[in-house]
Formats: sequence, structure tokens, C-alpha cells
Amino acid sequence: MEKNAKFEDNIKELEQIINELENGNTDLEESIEKYTKAMKLVNICDKKLKDIEEQVSKIVTENGLEDFKIEE
Amino acid sequence: MNNKYLEISALTKYIKYKFDNDEHLRKVYLKGEISNLKIHSTGHLYLSLRDEYSKINAIMFSSAAKKMLFTPKDGMKVLVTGRISVYEATGNYQIYIDEMLEDGIGNLYIAFEQLKEKLKNEGLFDSAHKRKIPRIPNRVGIITAPTGAAIKDILSTIKRRYPLCETILFPSLVQGDNAKDDIVRNIELANNYELDVLIVGRGGGSIEDLWPFNEEIVARAIYNSKIPVVSAVGHEIDFTIADYVADLRAPTPTGAAEMVVPNTSDLINYLNQLKIRLNECINKKVKYNELYLDSIKNSFVIKNPLIMYENRKQKLDIMLDKINNIIAKKIDNFKVKLNYIKANYTLNNPTVLYKDDIHKLNLLVEKLELLNPLAILKRGYTVTYQNDKIIKSIKDIDTKNTLKIKFFDGFIDVKKVGD
Repeated sequence: MEKNAKFEDNIKELEQIINELENGNTDLEESIEKYTKAMKLVNICDKKLKDIEEQVSKIVTENGLEDFKIEE
Repeated sequence: MNNKYLEISALTKYIKYKFDNDEHLRKVYLKGEISNLKIHSTGHLYLSLRDEYSKINAIMFSSAAKKMLFTPKDGMKVLVTGRISVYEATGNYQIYIDEMLEDGIGNLYIAFEQLKEKLKNEGLFDSAHKRKIPRIPNRVGIITAPTGAAIKDILSTIKRRYPLCETILFPSLVQGDNAKDDIVRNIELANNYELDVLIVGRGGGSIEDLWPFNEEIVARAIYNSKIPVVSAVGHEIDFTIADYVADLRAPTPTGAAEMVVPNTSDLINYLNQLKIRLNECINKKVKYNELYLDSIKNSFVIKNPLIMYENRKQKLDIMLDKINNIIAKKIDNFKVKLNYIKANYTLNNPTVLYKDDIHKLNLLVEKLELLNPLAILKRGYTVTYQNDKIIKSIKDIDTKNTLKIKFFDGFIDVKKVGD
């Protein structure tokens, strides 16, 4: 559950927690703990999606990675 | 006499029969140039095929024509497969075309089929070898030309759908003789980068243009890539070897971008759904626990705590009863034993124990009686003592002293009188 973790990993962890909550026999304290964790994940993902920082495309060149822009 | 003369139709039928029953004419491979091409509104093609010296009429029904990967034109050199038969109405023989390929490309087609067969038999297309395409990639690699429609379509689609995604372009030749080596080099290079998925492709073009993606070394490079590969070569209808060996085939470069990255709005919706599910979960859990707590609070024991004590009291009573019972039983047992003992004959008639002895004793007493010297005294005898000694002879008497004479009922002292 890292802010820098891959988006998909966060989603996967989130799905797993929900499945555990839906199907498992976790007690209340454990459930609340899991819920809190899941909510944090939801917020991280939400923030990522809503505060979109557009990624600049890169191109591999002889000098390494450089920014790449399509010429219209 | 007229019987000698055949009707035209009978002859034509006979000729047609001859054609149809000739094995060599059932499947013929012809090479020629298209002329007099007419496309009927039904989709059937009417044409002639010719070379320098000859010509043959040809028909291609729409069902076969639909499968052609190119648009035939007059003057085009083609390779056709079909059967030869006779059209009875005109008496012309013609070829009924099943398949038509552009000549020159015909050789490429054969090479394609052979390589496809070979790699398929080697298992390069097996679904067991297909790597999983991640649902939400962080970083996508793209191997294609840095100019042209393909890269433009891919990047704009990715940015429109999921701008969070990082993209790295590996500029590559995608047509011409050097393209295959360049594509292979870039696939290998891309495997040194941390990529979630790799799009390999190019925009539409002729079959020759797309040919690098039918090369064996390209197919093997795709197969050996550790990063999952999505192929995106040409248009929907273009199938290349790369498409068969890739982990996922996209119909077009745009299609590849759509398959590789999710739509941000879909993700937001999905995330909202997850949020709803999460809240439902926790609400359910809390409600369940509340109900459970209520059920405990309302339980009989909690409401009637004395019952715990009563239960124990009852248990104690039962135990006391048990102990009493046990002891009473023991006492009863002893009583029975005692009664049994009491009822014993000997105990009730103890004389039986010594009856014989009494008798014996009496006999002995009688005997003793007989032996008792004192008894003799009763008959008139006496015993004389002097100085506590029995005097048995007159000589023993000291006349100067008194004698004591014992009768059966007493003593008397006597003294000699006279001399």
C-alpha cells in the first residue's frame, strides 16, 4: 500500500481486501482495520485518477531517453 | 434416319460430362493476367485470364470473391485455383475460380503459410505460452516508426484514455529489408526497460510493406520477450505471423492502445463501485455485530443472572441427594448383613456350642466326686492332722501335742488323756 506502488497493485490489493470482507469471517476489529486500509487505497487511487499529471512521452535515442512530441 | 443427328444440348451435356469427370480439370492452378473484368451487382466476378498466347473465360462467385485480400483489376497478374467446366448455354468452357492471389505475392503467401505451419508445430502460438496483459499498465513500450499514423494513433489514444500511463517509444524501421533486424533489436532493447507491456506494430500497407512482421526472427523475438507483447500491424484484415505469436493481437494500432490501457472514467466508476462495496461490507459487519450484541444482551442468562446460581444450587441438591442415597444404600446393605448374621442358628442357640461340654463336665464332676477324699468323710471316715500334716500311722503321732481331726463338716482338736 504505497503511494508509489503501481496503480494496478493498489487496485488488486483493494479487490482482495473487499473479497476478504465480503466472504471472510473477519471479526469486527479486523474488519475495521481492513476497511481503513482499503479506504486509504481508494483515496490514493482516486487522487491519482483525478489529479491527472499527464505523462510526457519518451523516445529512446542514442543519448538515452528524451521527450517525444508528435509533429502535427 | 434422323436418329443419327444429335441435339446440341445432348452434345454439350456429353462434353460437360467429359470435363466434369476429368480428374485433372477438377482442381487446376492457373497463372495469368486479368482482362475483361466485370463485377456483377450480385458480387460475382466475370473475367478472362490470358497469357501471351491463350485466353480462358473465368467466373468467381461472390462467396469466393469475398475472401480475396485485394481488389482485382484488369491487367493484374494473378494466381488462381479452380475447376474447369462447361457453361451449357454458350457452349464455352471456363474456369470456376475458388481462390485468387496476386502473383508475386503468391510466393510470399506460400512462405507465410509455411512459416506459420512451422512455428505452430513448434508451439510458438500455444495459448499456454501467452503472457498475461496487465489490466492497468504503468509504463507501455511502443516499437514502431517515430513518424506516421501508427505512433500518433497509439499515443493520442493512450493519452485520451489513461494519461497516467508512461510511454516509451522505441523508434524502429517497420518496412524494407532492414526492418526485421531493427524490430528484433528494439524488442531486445525494450526488455532492458521496466515495461508492463510492449506494443509492436505499424499502420496499414501492402503485404510487402507488412512483411517484416512475417519474418521468423521477429516472431522468435516476440516469443522470447519477457514483457508481454501486443501486436498491432496494419488493418483489421491483415494477419501476420507476429499476430499469431504475440500475447494479444490488436486489429489496429489504435485498437492496441485501447486494449492496453483502461479508460480513466471507467476506472473512476470502478473505484466508486469498490467504494460502495467496501461501505456495504463494513455496514453489514457493524450491523451484524450490533444484532449479535443485542442478542447477547437479551439472552436469558444475562437477563436472569440468578439462573446461573440456581443451576448450581440445583446441581448441589442433586449431588447431596446422590450422596445421601449412596450412604443410605450402604447402611441398608450393612443392615441386611447384620440381620443375616442375627438370623444365624448358632447365634440364636449358643448352647449348641457347649452342650456336649456340659455333659462331659458333669461326668467329670461325678468322677471327681468319687475321687474326692472329703466325700469319704461323709461316710464316717476322718482325717487326722498334726502340725498340718496328715497322720497316716499311729507311730507318727506326737502324743504330747494336739491332733486335729477333720470330719466332713468340720475340725476338732483332740488331746491324749492319761498316760
